[in-house]
Amino acid sequence: MKLTPLELDALAEVFNHGVGQAALALSELAGEEVQLSAPKVEELSKRQISEKLEAQGSNRICAVRQAFSGAVNTDALLMFPVEKSLQLVQLMVGSDVPLAQLSEMEQESLAEIGNILLNSVVASVADMLHIEFEGSLPQVEQGRAGDMLYTEDDMDDAILSLQINFKIAARQVQGYLVFLLDVASSEALKKKITEFIESME
Amino acid sequence: MSPATPEAAPPASQLPVWLDWVLSNTPSGLLLLDAQSRIVFANKWFLLRARVDIEGIQGHGVRDVFPVLRGGHFERALLKAMRTGFPALLSQSLHPSPFPLYAPAATVANDNLLRQSVHIVPMGPTDAAAAGQRYILIQIADVSPTVARERLLKAHAERMSDLVHVDGLTGIGNRRFFDESMAAELRAASRTGSSLGLVMLDIDQFKQFNDLYGHPAGDRCLRAVADVLKTVCRRPRDLVARYGGEELVAILPDTDDAGAAQVARDILQRLRDLGLQHDDNLGRAIVTASAGVYAAVPKANDTPDAVVGRADQALYAAKSAGRDRVFCFDAGRQEAVPG
Repeated sequence: MKLTPLELDALAEVFNHGVGQAALALSELAGEEVQLSAPKVEELSKRQISEKLEAQGSNRICAVRQAFSGAVNTDALLMFPVEKSLQLVQLMVGSDVPLAQLSEMEQESLAEIGNILLNSVVASVADMLHIEFEGSLPQVEQGRAGDMLYTEDDMDDAILSLQINFKIAARQVQGYLVFLLDVASSEALKKKITEFIESME
Repeated sequence: MSPATPEAAPPASQLPVWLDWVLSNTPSGLLLLDAQSRIVFANKWFLLRARVDIEGIQGHGVRDVFPVLRGGHFERALLKAMRTGFPALLSQSLHPSPFPLYAPAATVANDNLLRQSVHIVPMGPTDAAAAGQRYILIQIADVSPTVARERLLKAHAERMSDLVHVDGLTGIGNRRFFDESMAAELRAASRTGSSLGLVMLDIDQFKQFNDLYGHPAGDRCLRAVADVLKTVCRRPRDLVARYGGEELVAILPDTDDAGAAQVARDILQRLRDLGLQHDDNLGRAIVTASAGVYAAVPKANDTPDAVVGRADQALYAAKSAGRDRVFCFDAGRQEAVPG
């Protein structure tokens, strides 16, 4: 899609508004302060995202996926290394997770956490860029990052990515929120960003 | 305005028979709300577990029918879903039982709230335009059996982890437990600058005991000595373990050399008081033990091996000096002395 630095900045503003809303909602849920920050909006290749996630120590990824459709169609994925997803659920639910994998109920909690974040971020996009979306329920997936990002297409395809840091009770968990967009949706989104920037001027 | 909405779905009795049948046999709760969050429809599963009639709730606000929802996470999620149009889910672990739903009285005798997994699905823009308003479907699944199963699974996992650390014969900690605990306690004592005590215990002439009375009796003897150790070392942070063979060990946090030596003497005395017969124990006629003691504030370079080695050196000295006695490793003189 190739966004200019100005356009990436505008998107960062939109995303951060949503991330701020999500932090409030997650804090209410956890009963203690959940800090969320999204320091970087980038266009990364699928290969780069896979490498960044695997650099955290594992090639097993846990993701929450939601599809949003409308003028812009996108699959939004919140991705963590599996161990980090365990940690996040443990911090949010406030109990220990003695098993090596998320149980069914813990997966559901992760789905809820991801749902809050994805809905908040996409709602900000909808409100600020004036795009109407229809959303799906979240689903939790485990596997390799490449499979989740449909790398049968092209590992060098650029996708919109947002680094997300969760901070709860002095512990930090890092994940990535990525938006998979087809060509038509990329163009539609770029156009909406341009309009948003013009409306600011 | 009457409570029943004009554009509401027809009452269940006016639904096509097959649709009514499908909804009645769906094994999860279905609740349809209009754009003002008034109840339009509830299926049989939901009515049965909420213990309400459709006539009593249709057309009423969901938060009026179930006041318990007010101010809670469900209300927040519902309002957000109505605003954004995006589906939301409430997971059981974070919200065990949002709705006051109970197992049908006829089948279950207890009154526990059902554990629920709740989906809030607003109509998409296209369907909402066709329907004249944005309806919201609430789907509720009873996950109580899953919760019970996972609780059992976790209890098993915790028990397995305990078993890995227990000596099967005596029920006190095993060697692995000792090694892990010793390393952790040494670090803790080093950090806080507190004294860590260690008592190594060896049953006197245990081989002869086994030869004389047989191995089952030997096992009983070991268990009896382990029980003595547990009885004497009963402060919350004291740890007792089987080091190997007939050697047992106690880790005593916050204990100096005088305290650790006293614990060792108490163990030996209690063992004598038991009066377990042992006719091949150097003329003593009862089961006795020897103890080696070491206690100190750990130095930065103290390893578990080094600390255990000093207690072991004291134990060896106690045995050499005639058994049934306590020796302490004196750090200043770098040798074992009677304790």
